[in-house]
Amino acid sequence: MAPNVDQPNVDHIVDMAPAASNRALAGVLHAAMPFMLVLACAVALPFAANDYWTLIGTRAAVYWVLVSGLNLVVGFGGQLAIGYVALLTVGAYTASILVLGKVTQPWPAYAAIVAAGAMGAASGVVIGLPALRLRTFYFAMTTLGFATIVTQIVLAWQSVTGGGIGVPGPALPAPFDGTAGLYFFCLGIAALCTWMTANIAHSRFGRALVAIRDAEVAAEATGISKTRLLVPVFLFGGAAAGVAGALFATLQSYITPDAFTFDLTILFFIAILIGGRGSIIGPLLGTIILTVLPEFAAPLVAWSTFLYAVLLLVIVLAIPGGIAELLDFANRKPLESARAIIPRPDLLAGLLGHGGVHEPIALSGVTLAFGGVHAIDGLDLMIRPAQVHGLIGPNGSGKTTTLNVISGYNRPDSGRICFGAHDLGHRAPRTRAGLGIARTFQTPRLIGEASVLQNVMIGGTIDGTATFLESLLSLPRHRRDEAVLRREAMLAIRAVGLESLAAVRADRLQHSELRFMEVARALMLHPCFLLLDEPAAGLSADEILRLGELIKKISRRGTGVLLVEHHADLIFDICDHVTVLNLGRELASGTPSEIRAHKEVVSAYLGA
Amino acid sequence: MLASIIASGLAIGAVYALIGIVYNTMYSASRVMSFTAGQIGMLGGVLGSLFILRMGLTPIIGFLLTLAVCSAIGVVTEIVAVRPVLSKLDQHLYVLTTLALTMMIQQVTAIEWSTEPQPFPRLFAIGERGPFDQRFWLPLAACAAVFVGLEFLYRRTLIGHAFLAIAEDNYAARALGLPERNLRVASFALSGAIGGVAGFAAGQLLLAFFANGAMLSFYGFVPIAIGGLGNNRGAVVGGLALGVVQQACNFIFGGIFASVAVFLVFIVALLAVPQGMFGMATVRRV
Amino acid sequence: MQITRRGLTLGAPLAVAGRAAMRRARAADASPILIGYPAALTGPSSAPGVGQNRGVTYIVDRINAAGGVKGRKIQMVTRDTQGDPTKAVNAVQEMMASDKVHAIFGPNNSGEALATTPIVARRGIPNIHCCGITSLIDEKKFPNAFRQTPNNDQSSDPPRIYCQKILKLNKVAVIGDSTGYGTSAVTDSVNNFKKNAGDVVYQAQIDATQPDMMPDMLRMREAGAQAIVPWTVSTGMIARLLNARGAMGWDVPFVGHQAMGSGEVGHLLQKPEYWNNVFNEGFKNCSLDAAGKLPARTQDFVDHARGKMSLVNTSLWWIVSAVDAIQLVADAVSKTDSSSPEAIIGYWNTLTKYPGLFADYTFSPTQHNGFPSDELVMSVASSEHDGAYALAPGYT
Repeated sequence: MAPNVDQPNVDHIVDMAPAASNRALAGVLHAAMPFMLVLACAVALPFAANDYWTLIGTRAAVYWVLVSGLNLVVGFGGQLAIGYVALLTVGAYTASILVLGKVTQPWPAYAAIVAAGAMGAASGVVIGLPALRLRTFYFAMTTLGFATIVTQIVLAWQSVTGGGIGVPGPALPAPFDGTAGLYFFCLGIAALCTWMTANIAHSRFGRALVAIRDAEVAAEATGISKTRLLVPVFLFGGAAAGVAGALFATLQSYITPDAFTFDLTILFFIAILIGGRGSIIGPLLGTIILTVLPEFAAPLVAWSTFLYAVLLLVIVLAIPGGIAELLDFANRKPLESARAIIPRPDLLAGLLGHGGVHEPIALSGVTLAFGGVHAIDGLDLMIRPAQVHGLIGPNGSGKTTTLNVISGYNRPDSGRICFGAHDLGHRAPRTRAGLGIARTFQTPRLIGEASVLQNVMIGGTIDGTATFLESLLSLPRHRRDEAVLRREAMLAIRAVGLESLAAVRADRLQHSELRFMEVARALMLHPCFLLLDEPAAGLSADEILRLGELIKKISRRGTGVLLVEHHADLIFDICDHVTVLNLGRELASGTPSEIRAHKEVVSAYLGA
Repeated sequence: MLASIIASGLAIGAVYALIGIVYNTMYSASRVMSFTAGQIGMLGGVLGSLFILRMGLTPIIGFLLTLAVCSAIGVVTEIVAVRPVLSKLDQHLYVLTTLALTMMIQQVTAIEWSTEPQPFPRLFAIGERGPFDQRFWLPLAACAAVFVGLEFLYRRTLIGHAFLAIAEDNYAARALGLPERNLRVASFALSGAIGGVAGFAAGQLLLAFFANGAMLSFYGFVPIAIGGLGNNRGAVVGGLALGVVQQACNFIFGGIFASVAVFLVFIVALLAVPQGMFGMATVRRV
Repeated sequence: MQITRRGLTLGAPLAVAGRAAMRRARAADASPILIGYPAALTGPSSAPGVGQNRGVTYIVDRINAAGGVKGRKIQMVTRDTQGDPTKAVNAVQEMMASDKVHAIFGPNNSGEALATTPIVARRGIPNIHCCGITSLIDEKKFPNAFRQTPNNDQSSDPPRIYCQKILKLNKVAVIGDSTGYGTSAVTDSVNNFKKNAGDVVYQAQIDATQPDMMPDMLRMREAGAQAIVPWTVSTGMIARLLNARGAMGWDVPFVGHQAMGSGEVGHLLQKPEYWNNVFNEGFKNCSLDAAGKLPARTQDFVDHARGKMSLVNTSLWWIVSAVDAIQLVADAVSKTDSSSPEAIIGYWNTLTKYPGLFADYTFSPTQHNGFPSDELVMSVASSEHDGAYALAPGYT
């Protein structure tokens, strides 16, 4: 997510105290400025230019209606649906055929546009579903396949679609029948789509989309279900494309299969990439540029496909951030260099300790082998609430694998993992979040382009109550969700000591700061159990001390902590219980002092 | 009649199989699937026609030049579309870079060559032999030669072992001191040459036509998607089967329904078995 | 001809200034006659456009060299649409709103023409069409649109008549490629056969990129086809069909689309004799008689034009029909002394047997299909010479 281009300044929105609500409003206005500017220019266009430029403007608006939806799929969700022109075709034909009255009584144009949206939504899900199972290239291929199939069906189904001869597009009644009328109609829908996608972008759905794009593993750990997230997005993207198709047919006045070219699908795609993934104003400008530019470069038309391709290559390789990054002035300000992370464990009270679970996580007889090598070999482990449980051992002793088994990324070959009445062994990773089991990763999994605040808010995704539709329309429940999430995220950020960095892009942070950010994200789940995978790696001695203090305080609020760590000092300082692993088995287990005295451990591992 | 359907089906299938092998060869060195696989096959036909018919070179020289240029395009693919992406966080971007390169190759061919199919020379001065004509057995022979050649390369030669090591685990291979980048360039050159062989051998069947690239990119991908990525045996079996089934569908149903049927079968099969029938298990994620 | 598009570096302000200047200039009588020409000049469907453009360039240069039309020069406003309907819609809107053209010629491809015709009709700009879609011309809905080439109904006739009357074969296979043109032409042709007691034993859309046409040929033979009527502009598909026919040793006649006579087909045939027994549609005025001569009017044009324009690698009818289109606009302005839409359309509506190079056109307020059906003939596909074809056996 490219913050601050289309987003209110974080300072303004985090603090929702009544006194600050005016400032919050100012923030929203500030964020909406570029959109207002574009809209003002757009409204002035028919008065300043002739019908030709109004037509080009209409085209840009129609394309943007499609691109705004596709932007959520591609720009936010990272799903490379290349063949989206198929949905434009579906929408265009649906509206045209219904208005023409070939299959039923002729429909009114507005009803036909709505129907086109509905057909588009249904088709959007059909085209999108393979994304839930297939890898990128495969998915891209299937969307291209769909595009071909749709064209062939249109050609073959002559009695309805007119085959190669096509059908006339729907004509809107007055006042939207003339060039300017149609323009304002399309502009209105385009503005509506912009508002709706912006609502989604700034909701838990938008953040979760970016999370599955850039940090799928972390998204699972926070309980985000790819299926439940993508289906509504495909529905919305398809509906937008379907409506765009209906408007396209109206604009073209007549549609034939050859109007839906491969170049068009590439144009949509490039508009998003030029604009910058995860932005809205960027792709909007991209769409306008790509619609208008060819009109100035008409003599180059023979090379247009080639030029699009060059553009695509240059953007992907040279300016992956697109227009949005160029406009992101706020994140070019240098950060304070001598900054320190000062956690405030006292704030944890606002986040932890309200749950009533007092059951341990119990592993019994767990084994797991990778290609014949036993990573875990009959492990029993008991992680208790309100305690810090250290897990140490040499490299390859099975520490991280144990953590992965508990959080579901690896399924045990045998043995049981129980959490109260729940058998966790064969459940998917994303089920852990709902049970209050949070984790961090050895290599921080984050969204580099999003702010620290947004990254942390992702942790609370499953706590949202508003549905996709409510968020789309910015209904009260959505706004309440956002306010609550922001407040909690800010609290978590302050608790781990990153307050001054809340609005900064995560990829500008130092490694140690990212570790604390991951802890903050995990805290958003109000976890009963927190699994930390080498959180102290890369931290300075001071930072390790503060981290240890923070972890200890977290456990004292009732949360059970499993700490996989190499830093023996940290382990012995804060752990209530330590298990030493070797070759996938327990070598020793006990209190820190018992372990320190354990002969085998001392000779084999501690080496003291 | 049956003979002619089988002959053309196997011939086309052999081309699909070869393009599948191009995908595999690129993939095993880089974990990247490139849309350019089909375009290189298309260029094999166009360049062959260019060198032999337009420039009047002998078939042997024309063949060698075609291979050289196709290898070069393979290397260009690696340098332009693959190498820069591998260093990025989001490696899926290769889908876009290779797509861009594909569009560029196709557009240049359309403008500089022709948008109409052009003839490809008969390579051997022997008469038309019905189902046993050279345009049918040449792709099959090329497919067999490439398959056997690759087996030999991978099993018997040092560089082949190095290729396999890279394919198996490229971090480990690098740790062992293998020149990972050079090997990757080499396998892209090799895959380019294979694509060139495919296009050249199929020239008489597919003609020198710019739109063949997109067609081959798709139909060459189907057998490996269903058979399993990285598996040349799967590519050959899948490719030949696809060719014969497609021709049989053309004969039984006629018209465009055959291609729609192939698309549908492809999508459904992929959804049922996302890894392909001989595919590898998922990689470790955390 | 002159491409009047602004370059990349010129922005809208300059264009506006230019247009204002143009409007001022038109007050004087010497203002140019602007003819919009949206055409597919590059890309896979550009063959007809490239041929037409030669004719357009030639005739515009000739008229202007002779002093123009009553002192007014003709200026073409050309824009390459690549056969893409969206580009064509943008192009005609620009021609009408920004360039203020007096008439529009084209566009050629069916998808483009179907989309632009209603848009041009809204402004009532005279529009000459060379696209075959029958429903395109509708005197009530589009009183400004005229067609100077045969429509698909008319085009379906000659192959049918040739099969039935001259070859005496009534069992036919009608096939086309899977493009918009192919599917619509097959439908028209099948209906035409059925209406006239023809027996369509086989009908199919074939994927033009299919590398081997043997299965389709086998199906047609099994169905009992005595003649094959193909509708496609894909030279590769035609050549593959003919090669398959040759390999099968099946001497079934091919009677259909003009593209079967393209030189591109000839290059792709495995043996030259595979081009025998193939008859493509042609036009009397562009057909060579037994002595290799064209009809006098066309022969005269070709003799004049030779050396000034290339006649190879295209069809003569594309050139001469485009020449006629420009001439129709020029004559309208010349005869009515006005370039207003009403004057041009009014003039066209009065034409009876207007002597063009391509045909003698007849228009009336209720009939905007100006091309007379009896000018259509079948010709020998392999006989191309400077874009003209020899009449098929059976015609005199």
